[in-house]
Amino acid sequence: MTLLRKARLALAALTLAALPLLAAQPRLVFGSDCTFPPMEMVDAHKQLVGFDIDLIHAVARAAGFEAVVKNTAWDGIFAGLAAGDYDAVLSSVTITPERARTLDFSSPYLEAGQVLIVPQGLNGLTTLGQFGGKKVGAQIGTTGALEVGKHRDITLKAYDEAGLAVEDLYVGRIDAVVLDSPTARNYVLRNERYKSRLKIVGTPFTDEHYGIAVKKGNQKALDLINRGLDAIRKDGTLARLVHKWLD
Amino acid sequence: MTALGPAGDGMRGRPQADPASAMHLNESSLIPGDRETLAAWKIAFFGAIALTVALPLLRPHPFLEILAFVPEGLTATFTVTLASIGLALVLGLLAGLGRIARTTVINRIATVYVEVVRGIPLLVQLFYIYYALGPLLHLNGLLSAIAALSICYGAYLAEIFRAGLQSIPKGQMEAALALGLSRTQALWRVILPQTIRVILPPIGNEFIALLKDSSLVSILAVSDLLRRGREYASTTFDYLEAYTVVALIYLIMTLFFSRLVGLLEERMRTHGRQHH
Repeated sequence: MTLLRKARLALAALTLAALPLLAAQPRLVFGSDCTFPPMEMVDAHKQLVGFDIDLIHAVARAAGFEAVVKNTAWDGIFAGLAAGDYDAVLSSVTITPERARTLDFSSPYLEAGQVLIVPQGLNGLTTLGQFGGKKVGAQIGTTGALEVGKHRDITLKAYDEAGLAVEDLYVGRIDAVVLDSPTARNYVLRNERYKSRLKIVGTPFTDEHYGIAVKKGNQKALDLINRGLDAIRKDGTLARLVHKWLD
Repeated sequence: MTALGPAGDGMRGRPQADPASAMHLNESSLIPGDRETLAAWKIAFFGAIALTVALPLLRPHPFLEILAFVPEGLTATFTVTLASIGLALVLGLLAGLGRIARTTVINRIATVYVEVVRGIPLLVQLFYIYYALGPLLHLNGLLSAIAALSICYGAYLAEIFRAGLQSIPKGQMEAALALGLSRTQALWRVILPQTIRVILPPIGNEFIALLKDSSLVSILAVSDLLRRGREYASTTFDYLEAYTVVALIYLIMTLFFSRLVGLLEERMRTHGRQHH
């Protein structure tokens, strides 16, 4: 009896001692559409990898929280955030005034303007405005799709994944793809199949930055994320990640 | 209709030997009442129409914008559905006849087609034709969608045709042959007309199922009804509103067609009975 009581007391003491530790390590779940190399993708071992994944683990270490990344589809990713499926969206989200009306963004962590991918043989067309009467692909609900949508004379083909748009360009069913520059570079420069057939033309034609999105008013999560981002910006981790994934 | 009367199938004295009417007799005696179904249909159909009208009036933003944006996808939805059901009927009839053919090769081909296609999800078939075979076939989104839906539903319809053909009593064919018709003539003039009456309701159901499944083609960047709704929601984040409108439009269409199939079925039934 006394032994049991002692054991109980010890257990209680242990729990009490562990509580502050647990409280110091809050858990944040991040929704991410892992079909966007090299930012977020699934590797051959079914692990989620990429720039954003490394980034958030570095941020979590610096700010003292536990980061869990949950793979989800892009279409409806913000609805999932609103529904509480995850605490934040970490998915190469461009900060835009429209999105900022319904979401809160962290400080920007990467520059990522839109670029055009076209077939190797296509010459003379370097800006989106020159593609009147042609079919241009983009991922549904991305800033790329919004840019194409601004040109009324261009037929927008909106795909579920950026990769499907690039594949359709490779096959020849569309004339160009508008994509964030880091991902565009990854498809065109690093992919063996696409490298010889596709090219990037012009320079980024929009001024865009990626940020991590949280539900409007979730200041607690936002503070943690921003604190971590500041820390990895200062200690050079962010620059190292850019070098590792994007150069 | 050249269908032979009850005397032809050697079952003299049984007034309802025809399987079509026999089936309907069972249906109406087992299910509490057509009246109940009709009442439910009216509530759903007119309720959906009332909502579609009321929502834009009560909340012009965003419902009026959605109603202006989304129906553009109807053209793609209808093109895909109508072209696919047409091709699927041809494929289904051929494969259905093949399934009961006495020539082993034809029978084997038809059976393998049905078994293979029915075993692969439609979404996978769509991806396969558009992306996997894309570099070879070069079909655009609309044609890929029509091809995939026709091939898939052709297999489903083949089974309906086969079951329908086999439901016609053997005596009908025997009597037709005895009267001097060739096998082909007997098939076209005696068996098939009776088959159509039996299979019309299930074919109507397949048509409605195909109309709903056509929403899967939005994965191929075809701007159908669902895709338009998704495009709208992806920029405005009005998911609830956009998908409510999309669901209502699909519901109105499918309810309309299910009633049409029901009416056709009734007409066929009364028309068929006049022969007895």
